[in-house]
Amino acid sequence: MLKLDDVVVHYGTVAAVKGISFEVDENEIVTLIGSNGAGKTTTLAAITGLHQPSTGTISFEGDRIDHLAPEKINALGIAMVPEGRRVFPQMTVLENMEMGAYLRTNAARIRHDMEEIYHHFPILKERRSQLAGTMSGGQQQMVAMARALMSGPKLLLLDEPSLGLSPIMTQEIAKIIRDLHREHGRTIVLVEQNARMALQLADHAFVMETGKIAFGGKADDLRHDAKIQETYLGV
Amino acid sequence: MEIGLLIQTIANSIAAGSIYAVIAVGLAMAFGVMKMANFAHGEFFMCGAYVVYVFYALLGWPFPAAVLMSIPIVGAMGVVTERLIFRPTRSNVLAGFMATAGLAFVLQVLVGQMWGVGLMRSVPTPYMGAADIAGAKIGWQRVLVIPAAIVMLSALWFFLYRVKHGKALRACAQDPDTARLQGIGINRMTMLAMGISGASAGLAGALLAPIHPVTPYMGHGVILTAFIVVVMGGMESIAGAVLAAILLGFVHTFVTTLSDAVTAQMVGVACMAAVLVVRPQGLLGRVKA
Repeated sequence: MLKLDDVVVHYGTVAAVKGISFEVDENEIVTLIGSNGAGKTTTLAAITGLHQPSTGTISFEGDRIDHLAPEKINALGIAMVPEGRRVFPQMTVLENMEMGAYLRTNAARIRHDMEEIYHHFPILKERRSQLAGTMSGGQQQMVAMARALMSGPKLLLLDEPSLGLSPIMTQEIAKIIRDLHREHGRTIVLVEQNARMALQLADHAFVMETGKIAFGGKADDLRHDAKIQETYLGV
Repeated sequence: MEIGLLIQTIANSIAAGSIYAVIAVGLAMAFGVMKMANFAHGEFFMCGAYVVYVFYALLGWPFPAAVLMSIPIVGAMGVVTERLIFRPTRSNVLAGFMATAGLAFVLQVLVGQMWGVGLMRSVPTPYMGAADIAGAKIGWQRVLVIPAAIVMLSALWFFLYRVKHGKALRACAQDPDTARLQGIGINRMTMLAMGISGASAGLAGALLAPIHPVTPYMGHGVILTAFIVVVMGGMESIAGAVLAAILLGFVHTFVTTLSDAVTAQMVGVACMAAVLVVRPQGLLGRVKA
């Protein structure tokens, strides 16, 4: 579904991503793990079009999407939950969700999807008139996820959804990700520093180190790999 | 201050505040979406007055029709400015500043070339006479500004808070990158913002044409006041701009009545400074995370 081939991304003269390749198949959860500065967020920025790659190709459903603008990439069915939630703080929860559906025109379908999303995030229905900027970190994470889902995406990108959340809230977010995957067969790319959570959720995992994929494989195998346990799981 | 003069001054304050609000809201909105100030905003106001001069005083159109013409004409100027100046200089704030400051001079000279520089253009007052309220006489032309401003601000509020594209404009002002991730085209939004910005400045100029000296340089005084209002209100806050406009309308009008216009300008700037000392983010501005 999504294919990156030797993608290089520069910030000025510094290469943050130094030629990475991986594939995401339909209905699977793929996770990118690795420490701060490994290039995970930059990789997502390249996929969404916010930061275009210097070389390499990115294709989605067979068509190249590198060099498309973010708004065009969203229209193809890729939705992003950015690092740090990035909710629209001065807008209500409902308005944030409406913005997620900005490109959609079928009002009945939008309403139907909204009800379905409320089923995963009941608190958002309760708080739909609250300004998103006044909510807790975990609730903002839910707003950001609900907003992304409102576009009816084929591929959902999640950037550090557990960042800054309490362990209980992290578990809740993990459960929602699992439900989204199980109930709707959603294809998800999950970027996480919390390798334990990510490896539990994912089908495939890639470990990034200093802009490159150090190794990858089935998430279950990686979870039991001695080196991964030592470096990323703190066992 | 006797009661008649007091009522007169209050009415004048509200009228002044209404005009400040219509002008400043456009400036705040363009700044919110583009993070760049349009230094030719005062010249958009001037062009609005000239639209009324041309259509009403020269061509003999009815006054309301001439005023309405200012909305598409100056709105289109805003859109063209976005396309030719703001978009190419988006990554360079200084270039954008220089270019719009230059545009201000270009518009002044252009209008001067077409309709003359030295003489002030006289626009006859369409609504003669004055309302008589408790002994105070307030010219209808001045009174008219108030409902016009209320209608314009209400329409803008409705658009920003009830219409999808208006909400998208707010989203863009709050977080442009994240707005793009939702599929909101940033170029369309900046064009929309500049169109509304130009249209509101043009409308303000059009409404004031009969009671304000119409010259190519009439934008000068206005831009200063508009910036004071926008800074006081909180740069990107539309509601803040309206609040600050009304406050400044009262301050300017009362000080002008009791003393003189130069002192009023100084007191206005002092008010802005005082607000910034107490609330650096402006009256209704928010602190950036």
